[in-house]
Amino acid sequence: MKPLTARRVWLICGGMLAALLVSVLIALKLGAVPIPATDLALSLARALVGAEIPADHQLIIFEMRLPRILLAILVGASLAVAGAGFQALLRNPLADPYVLGVSSGAALGAIVSLVLLPRVALASPVAAFLGAVLATTTVYFLGRRGGQLDSHTLLLAGIITASFLSAVIMFLMTTLPSSHLRGMAFWLMGDLSVAPPVSLSVLFMLVAAGAAAIYTTAADLNLLLAGELEALHLGVEVNRVKLVVYLAASLLTGVAVSVSGAVGYVGLIVPHLLRLVFGHDYRLLIPTAAIGGAIALVLADALARTIVAPTELPVGAMTALAGAPMFIYLLRRRMH
Amino acid sequence: MFDRLRPAALCLFLAALAAEAQPAPAATKTSGAVRSVMDDTGRTVHVPAQVRRIVSLAPSLTETLFALGVGDRVVGVSDYCNYPAAARSRPRVGAPLNPSLESIAALQPDLVVAAKSANRRETVDELARFGLATYATDAHSVEQVLTSIEHLADALGIAEAGHQLTGALRARLAHLQQQLAGRTPRRVLLVVWHEPLISIGRNTFIADALRYAGASHVIETEQDWPRLSLEEVVRVQPEYLLFAGDHAAAMASLLASLPQRPGWRKLAAVQQHRTLLLDESINRPSPRLLDAIETIARQLHPEAFQQKPAPPTPAAPGFAALRSCAPAGSRTRAGSADWPVSAYAEVNRSRRAER
Repeated sequence: MKPLTARRVWLICGGMLAALLVSVLIALKLGAVPIPATDLALSLARALVGAEIPADHQLIIFEMRLPRILLAILVGASLAVAGAGFQALLRNPLADPYVLGVSSGAALGAIVSLVLLPRVALASPVAAFLGAVLATTTVYFLGRRGGQLDSHTLLLAGIITASFLSAVIMFLMTTLPSSHLRGMAFWLMGDLSVAPPVSLSVLFMLVAAGAAAIYTTAADLNLLLAGELEALHLGVEVNRVKLVVYLAASLLTGVAVSVSGAVGYVGLIVPHLLRLVFGHDYRLLIPTAAIGGAIALVLADALARTIVAPTELPVGAMTALAGAPMFIYLLRRRMH
Repeated sequence: MFDRLRPAALCLFLAALAAEAQPAPAATKTSGAVRSVMDDTGRTVHVPAQVRRIVSLAPSLTETLFALGVGDRVVGVSDYCNYPAAARSRPRVGAPLNPSLESIAALQPDLVVAAKSANRRETVDELARFGLATYATDAHSVEQVLTSIEHLADALGIAEAGHQLTGALRARLAHLQQQLAGRTPRRVLLVVWHEPLISIGRNTFIADALRYAGASHVIETEQDWPRLSLEEVVRVQPEYLLFAGDHAAAMASLLASLPQRPGWRKLAAVQQHRTLLLDESINRPSPRLLDAIETIARQLHPEAFQQKPAPPTPAAPGFAALRSCAPAGSRTRAGSADWPVSAYAEVNRSRRAER
């Protein structure tokens, strides 16, 4: 493995940002309504110079497709960085943002809000976020052993909490008379078709804060790879690092889940793929995971919008369709 | 979200109208005036005075629009809109639960119509956010289906056509009520899906339609689409099983398999071939619901349709009787003498002949 220099980090990140730009252009082009590439280029050029754009292009390209692509970037980046964080924290390559019960907590929050405040649209993402925080807190306290965060206990506590909350969700969905629950199926699957209730810039700041917090621990996470005791002897404040990563990754997941539902596999696959390509150094893995997660979800959502057009698939179905076989492939590869 | 964005959406919409009205006096999209109407879900919708382009997101609404005589204004339909035949050739915008919003926008509709029973609220909210006037219907009884049609017609500026249509439908209902006067309601179970067993709740328009058809549903739940235990169905022993769906072939083979299915074969209705296969019209809160009601009434009460209309009896019980629920046992026996010879009885008979 080549030594990690600042130049190498910038080069790789620059290359990946270029790839992200290309995938954004692809996603802008793809959609149920065919827009010729020349028209798209013309509209984009006009938008750049501030000229007037035909009304239908303005609506479809800039009000429908672009905000959704930006949302996909934020959600994809959150999930992949959170995934990389949880995998380091739990030292378990199977960890992903949903293993720790975060998404189940969020889903329960959303359902409860749909039952109690069916007419308040803002209620369900807020309740989803609160549910995620509540589940995260519960798992955190269940996952402590002797006053410290224990990786194995945390993982078990997460899995148990997730399955318990899923059972509560199933119970509510079976017994409640509300017809508002119809949308829940999409939400449980992960769906980007509904615009978030807060502006994208607010989301961006939350995501950037969470990702930056994890990035500050990157050097310590590298040492943690060797084992907690070893890291402790090398001067890593293991408990502080674990707390920071846990809180930041939970924040990222909570934000992602509250605006898009439970989009699976991005947090699992993207960090794995990037480790294969670029190695295990978290100083490189975390920024590349952010960009890679964004690329993955932008492309997945572009496919979800077009593969059975004009009907739309929930994006989570798309990430699972692509992610599950990819995961099996990675797993087999590791064995050889 | 919608409440917060509604003023913004309205401003956008009005700005768009103003912008359009200035350069071209003969604007193609609207005549410049906007009416505010309230839809069935309590949302305020700003409908252009001239609605020339409509996108329908539910099969029932497509049927209603065609029945109202504005089928030629329907420029887009959902994937499931299969009636009338002319609707099938209209541009598709996707399945009712997850249509493509950009496909809808590209059709430049003056009005999008959605049904709470078929579409997601998120879809309606998003369309409104993009400045597309979206009208949602909701009906939990036959009467509400009719008033919902009237309200929609009013929103489209064709209130007269609406009243004509519902007037004819109400007359048919009243006539049916006369014919069924004094008949004891049949105890039925409507099967939406068989595995798992899913039925209908008391607050659905389907349950109400069954009451008008001279039937009472044996199990009443608050949930709209309850998952029932087959044990409970065996215990209450409905006189008739009604299967609803638009996959006739699959349903017919299901019906044929019932006498062998565990649980189901314990039902007297199955043993005595009192199963009815209904087409999709019973599932749709549209004018065709009346067809479904009449069909079911004829199947459940054939004797009411053989004789001349009975002379008006003093203190005719009417719907009070239809809605009442007498003890089960006696009626089952009383009815069994004259089970109707239905198409399904024919199917069952030919199947028996094969064996």
